[in-house]
Amino acid sequence: MKIPYGWVRELVDVDLTAEQAADRLINAGVEVASVTPVAPDLRGVVVGEIETIEREVGDSHGHRVLLCRVSTGRARYSVVCGAPNTAVGARAAFAPPGATLPGGRAIGIAKIRGVESHGMLCSERELGLGEEHEGGLLLLDAGAPLGADLVAHLGLDDHVLEIEITPNRPDCLSVLGVARELSALTGGRLRPPKIALRESRESARALARIRVEAPDLCPRYTLRVISGLKVAPSPAWMAARLRACGLRPISNVVDVTNYVLWELGHPLHAFDAAGVTDATIVVRRAAAGERFTTLDGQARTLDASMLVIADPQRAIGLAGVMGGQNSEVSAGTTRVLLESAYFDPGSIRRTSRTLGLRTDAAYRFERGADIEGLLDANDRAAQLMAELAGGTVARGMLDAYPRRRKPVRVRLRMERVERVLGVVPRRAHARRILTGLGLAVRERGAILDVEVPSFRRDLAMEDDLAEEIIRVWGYDKIPSTLPGGQTVEVARESDRLRQEGLLRRVLAGVGLMEAVASSFTDRARSGALGVAEPLALLNPLSQDAAYLRAHPLDGILGVVAVNTRRQEGDVRVFEIGKTYQSSTGGDTATSEPRWVALAVSGARGELSWRDGGGAVDVYDAKGLAEHALAALGVTTSTRTGGALGGFEPDCHASLLTAAGEVVAEFGEVAASTRAALGIDAPVFAAAVRLDPLPRARTFERYQALPRFPSVARDMAFLVPDPGPSAAAVETAIRREAGPLLREVVVFDVFRLPDGQRSVAWRLTFQADDRTLTDEEINTVHGRVAARVGSELGLTLRGS
Amino acid sequence: MSPAGHPRVDTIAAEARAAIERTESSADLEALRVRFLGRQGELTQLLRSLGSLPADERPVVGAAANEAKRVLEALLESRLGEAAERERRRQRAQSRLDLTLPGRRPARGGIHPLTRVHDEIVSIFGGLGFSVAEGPEIETDYYNFEALNIPKDHPARDMQDTFYLSESALLRTHTSPVQIRTMQAAKGRTPLKLVVPGRVYRRDVPDASHSPVFHQVEGLAVDHGITMADLKGTLELFAREMFGPRSKIRFRPSFFPFTEPSAEVDVLCFLCGGAGCRVCKQSGWLEILGCGMVHPRVLENGGYDPEEVTGWAFGMGIDRITILKYGIDDIRLFLENDLRFLRQFA
Repeated sequence: MKIPYGWVRELVDVDLTAEQAADRLINAGVEVASVTPVAPDLRGVVVGEIETIEREVGDSHGHRVLLCRVSTGRARYSVVCGAPNTAVGARAAFAPPGATLPGGRAIGIAKIRGVESHGMLCSERELGLGEEHEGGLLLLDAGAPLGADLVAHLGLDDHVLEIEITPNRPDCLSVLGVARELSALTGGRLRPPKIALRESRESARALARIRVEAPDLCPRYTLRVISGLKVAPSPAWMAARLRACGLRPISNVVDVTNYVLWELGHPLHAFDAAGVTDATIVVRRAAAGERFTTLDGQARTLDASMLVIADPQRAIGLAGVMGGQNSEVSAGTTRVLLESAYFDPGSIRRTSRTLGLRTDAAYRFERGADIEGLLDANDRAAQLMAELAGGTVARGMLDAYPRRRKPVRVRLRMERVERVLGVVPRRAHARRILTGLGLAVRERGAILDVEVPSFRRDLAMEDDLAEEIIRVWGYDKIPSTLPGGQTVEVARESDRLRQEGLLRRVLAGVGLMEAVASSFTDRARSGALGVAEPLALLNPLSQDAAYLRAHPLDGILGVVAVNTRRQEGDVRVFEIGKTYQSSTGGDTATSEPRWVALAVSGARGELSWRDGGGAVDVYDAKGLAEHALAALGVTTSTRTGGALGGFEPDCHASLLTAAGEVVAEFGEVAASTRAALGIDAPVFAAAVRLDPLPRARTFERYQALPRFPSVARDMAFLVPDPGPSAAAVETAIRREAGPLLREVVVFDVFRLPDGQRSVAWRLTFQADDRTLTDEEINTVHGRVAARVGSELGLTLRGS
Repeated sequence: MSPAGHPRVDTIAAEARAAIERTESSADLEALRVRFLGRQGELTQLLRSLGSLPADERPVVGAAANEAKRVLEALLESRLGEAAERERRRQRAQSRLDLTLPGRRPARGGIHPLTRVHDEIVSIFGGLGFSVAEGPEIETDYYNFEALNIPKDHPARDMQDTFYLSESALLRTHTSPVQIRTMQAAKGRTPLKLVVPGRVYRRDVPDASHSPVFHQVEGLAVDHGITMADLKGTLELFAREMFGPRSKIRFRPSFFPFTEPSAEVDVLCFLCGGAGCRVCKQSGWLEILGCGMVHPRVLENGGYDPEEVTGWAFGMGIDRITILKYGIDDIRLFLENDLRFLRQFA
């Protein structure tokens, strides 16, 4: 909200520059986003009068271009002007040669249509005061002193504070509110506008009626009736002030409602009485499907939760949000019904959001208006309409206020203030602060009895007042201490964080880069990963972030895609993150399983002169998954196939714990999935489920080191294609070899010219109680060869 | 060599010795070993022929020959050692290593900058006795809003534009719901001191300073007799650990529905030291977190009696602090994971 500082200073005695005032407000919690001069770079522009129009010199955009004689009282100038509102006798903003307009535009003598123009008559936009230009010159009052500096005359020598309040402080959404805040902060005297209303003898009751049918949504509704109005442009000073507030002047009657909204903070609405049947205002819920055209010309369909202002026949306003076209004040309006009301904040907010109609009025009503202060707003507006539009104010105000607001009283213990803040000002000081904010305070020993005024809806309990006290006194008065009580337990990192931290270090340690990917995904990517129904957002920002990822590789494959697209072909990355899915338990019937997702593509290692390490393959993905599992003390066996989508069917397997639980899947990412993601090169990936895994590796009792030497024997089997899997061979070996076999590992695999593969195993034997003899080993070796031969049909190479 | 040797032994020994001392290569030295000391060697032959000598000469010749053999073997070993060293040097000289060639490096991995800052924050508060708690990202309206004193149709909801999954389920807009969950789980136990790191969501159109997905760390303390001064002291300590020993913070009044009083906390700009620069928008201060005394109604919702205990809470954006700490100019870099970005933190 834009608030001219000069206006604020009319209502409070402070001796601060706009910048200083902004600092004080910010430090008291009233955010001032910016402080800007009203009329930057405007120099030498004065009040001029068009004395005569000498002749027409041409035509521009359908308007005559005229040569005028302009007087500034001291001198006369020949000025060419094409504005449609150029008229003899008009006083207007005039930039004589030597003046400067915004943007550093220097005015001199210019040739227009071959005619010399000495200076320029200016529009609002040319002066940097507003957007108006097509309408023509910025006209001034007939009484504006000729030759007077425009900046001084219109009070443009001022700064505008851009106020951004937190939702609890609607009372600061006005010039008076900001003035009150500054008064509390500086001790400067507050001088609210004097309301001096002259009423006619005719009673308002005789001229209008109110019927509130929905008092729950409209606790108070008041009307004044002003007759005999002459709708005309507002005086220049008011128009200038409204423009400085970022508002567009419309007419004296409408501008008064906006002016009072800015001055006192309460939204008002003036209905043209001619548009109100039987001069009767009915406040009711809309009928479902009721059609209504708002002031902005939009036809809207209402529902039964919305509140309308109506006459006995039709709606004439959308309560607290926007007026209607059918009762709009226009040039011919002579009598208005002036509304000042209080509407239920929640209802206004729902209506405004449902219709997508955010207005200054709705913004205030949804934050809570001042149910008592609305009387002053009504009186003030009536007064100004009488003064500026020649109206007569009927006697009395119609006021439908069935349930009066109960006064809010808070018993404030100074001891409580100290308990919350750790510091407390003297009682007299606290009292001064609260009084300065407009609160009524009575001292009763160590207790302050505080009555909260109706404009401070945010103050309802002791701690609210503690905040007011420290806010005004200064947050820098709070000392710095440390909590005394020690926790009885040692602070613990969560087990899950510990598990994730361990895996992160382990995987970064073997050359993987950690990524942190978004939780969002789109339909296409989910589909490419075989996810049919990901959880959908009701209100996504965009279609490519409309779902929550359900596949553990969703994020990490996106990372591969981004990098390969950017010529980073060697990608070795991992992510520790969640997927999101429906579930039967929990508050939200969803679950968020945690995963390590890893993906590799391109070269295995850094590019090197010695050996590049070759290209990654599926065994890299598998090995990294096994490495991560081993870090948690989990050993696994492999079973081909798995439950996750997105892998090549013939290159996809699962890792199982000894108990048979699948804790990881790995494989080559399917070509179709890659195509959907825009990845050209092969990618190998693994997903490890973290929730079923131990949170850390637990170490059992130590085992004594072996006292007798071990013996290694190599066995190379010829394996046809297709033939038994390595896992099957290993199982056979282990079964036959018995307890002396301590370790068995494949150390060499190659393909022979006949298509068979040679798979070489190294078996390591050891006994706890003796050195093994060659004969013992040879016997076992022979039995193993025989078993693998009989069970799997494999023969030893070279036999 | 024994002067009281035997003339034949002495002759052979002298010849052998001269030959060994003349010879340089290890191959030639090995040949000399064969010639003199080998099975068919001259000295060996002499020893073998002892039987043909007169009986009184045998011990003398035998002893002399054995002694000569021992001495020659020692000499040969020493000469062989010298030769091997010479030859090793010659060989290395021929195949000189270029040690300026790059080393064989293992692939380099790394930790994401958000994780680094996350860990740093959690560990600082760990040192101050704060345990870690976590909670779900998909939350209920109750935990995310209602229990935190943000009723339906309240403008405070505008402060946090929300993604919804259904009428009742939403993506949490802050880590604060975990406050309620943990307080309820603690069943009135004090003291409660915990930090809650996690991912949060707001329906903000992404740009250089907004991401709909970001990360927070929430802090909560509930105990008898803790005050806003304790909150300030704790955060000052944090700032010094996080941003350096000369860090200063200031409290500014603000509004959060779940704290009363509430404050925004600024840290003295660590780039310009408060003089004003581009990063702090000439203000000299950087906004880093929001905090306040836990609202009595929130304490009640958590199962505590606000007349018995007080509490304070704070929440900071991990992304924001990472941006400030490393001078990152676009928040979107975090979730994009360009390797050229990530490597800078590896």
